[in-house]
Amino acid sequence: MKAAIIYTSVTGNTSTLAEIICEKMNNHHIETDLIPVDEFQPQLLHNYDIVTVGTYSWDNGDLPMEMEEVFEAFEEEEVNHITTGVFGTGDSFYPYYCGAVDMFRDMLYVHTNLAVTLKVELTPQDEDLHRCEKFCDRLASELAVVS
Amino acid sequence: MTQVDQSLTKIKLLNPTYPNKATGIINGESSGLLNWNDIAYPQMYDLYQTLLANFWKAQEINMQDDIKQWDNLSETEKDVFLRINTQLASLDSLQTPTMTHVMDYVTDSSFKAIFAVISQQEAVHNESYSYILSSLVPLREQNERFDQAKEDPIVRKRNQLILDSYEAFRENPTPQRLFELAINSINLEGIYFYAGFAFFYHLARQQKMLKTSTMISYIQRDEMQHAYFVSQFVRILLTENPELNTEENIQYVYQTVDKAVQLEKEWADYILKDIEGIDLDEFHGYVEYLANKRFRQIGLDNYYPERDNPMEWIHVFSDEMMNETKSDFFEQKSRTYTKVSSSNGFDEL
Repeated sequence: MKAAIIYTSVTGNTSTLAEIICEKMNNHHIETDLIPVDEFQPQLLHNYDIVTVGTYSWDNGDLPMEMEEVFEAFEEEEVNHITTGVFGTGDSFYPYYCGAVDMFRDMLYVHTNLAVTLKVELTPQDEDLHRCEKFCDRLASELAVVS
Repeated sequence: MTQVDQSLTKIKLLNPTYPNKATGIINGESSGLLNWNDIAYPQMYDLYQTLLANFWKAQEINMQDDIKQWDNLSETEKDVFLRINTQLASLDSLQTPTMTHVMDYVTDSSFKAIFAVISQQEAVHNESYSYILSSLVPLREQNERFDQAKEDPIVRKRNQLILDSYEAFRENPTPQRLFELAINSINLEGIYFYAGFAFFYHLARQQKMLKTSTMISYIQRDEMQHAYFVSQFVRILLTENPELNTEENIQYVYQTVDKAVQLEKEWADYILKDIEGIDLDEFHGYVEYLANKRFRQIGLDNYYPERDNPMEWIHVFSDEMMNETKSDFFEQKSRTYTKVSSSNGFDEL
């Protein structure tokens, strides 16, 4: 059983979150690859049982340009057996807080076994660490059901 | 004298022997020519694009609805409205020339360009306050209100924190003073506007003066990008100049932002005390929540207790609310998914 975290980050907030999630996945004894979006290839998706996507949101809750390829890969590849989670960082002063997480959520729900979503305001705070724990618990429990 | 206290020299306009891609944001070598495709920090191009995409002008907003509503506001609401308007205008008046002044000492042309755009936006903000005033009250009263803002002891005390730092940089532009200016710029753009924003959004919650709050929303959207840019500027400045990255300077950030936080609370207690529906204790918590965000944006830890946003209604209006249509990724590709929620069997944390 293998997991991947595909993520993009500009300020480092989302990459910090990705690293925390990766560490916690490993604590669950799930081998997890951390894949920055510039190393992503659509066929990579087939190597994993769990795929989580991490993204910031741009301006008005938009998907960052570099994540479009990832978004389209889930639409085009055979992924309905994959368990997914999506997480992101954003600023609640914008009208669509973590809007890109919502975009992925709605799409992943249709094409994959979406298990969990997580939104964090800017850099993760102490309370967010517990939420990351829950995020990974939920993904791991999906895996237990499947296997 | 250490390097951080040595005056920065004004960079020449053109330095043909230097590279186009600057070797530093201060004290760097740079030809002065800007090719956005060859810059030291490529993410600055995205930031520049976002700033430009925010472009708006006051005259696009028709004030007729607000003019009709103005007479229905209570005397207290009118008084607070005008006082906050001129107080915010005076903050923006400081910011326009300061941003252009900083440009002379920044050696990376892409950063200069961004400071130029920020300065332009501050000029628009300044105009928008004048535009609102001109719609509502005669020139004589406008001038009285500006005088009031100049003389108000609490406004002066607040502004002094910023002014001391900005003037110190004007007097002797050193790296240390540039760092301090940047922190105070975060105070101005990222803390000091929010009691004012709270008041206008509070009116908007009651469907009052929506044209004014539309402008306020545009201003907040710009200011958020400015505070983000300045926080990136600070991080890069400290990374490129490790001699600035000292424990004293970290303490300077905590102490100076804390001063601004206390001054913002004091200002809110004074200006918003008669406004029903804004809980001042809650606003104090809000200012601390806001400052924590600013600390995290520059890579520091929270200084105040961790809390959720206690006043979620203080936020930028959505495009729909502003009656705007913008083509985005999804509209272009005409792919829409039905909105799903945790009732569909997954967890939303």
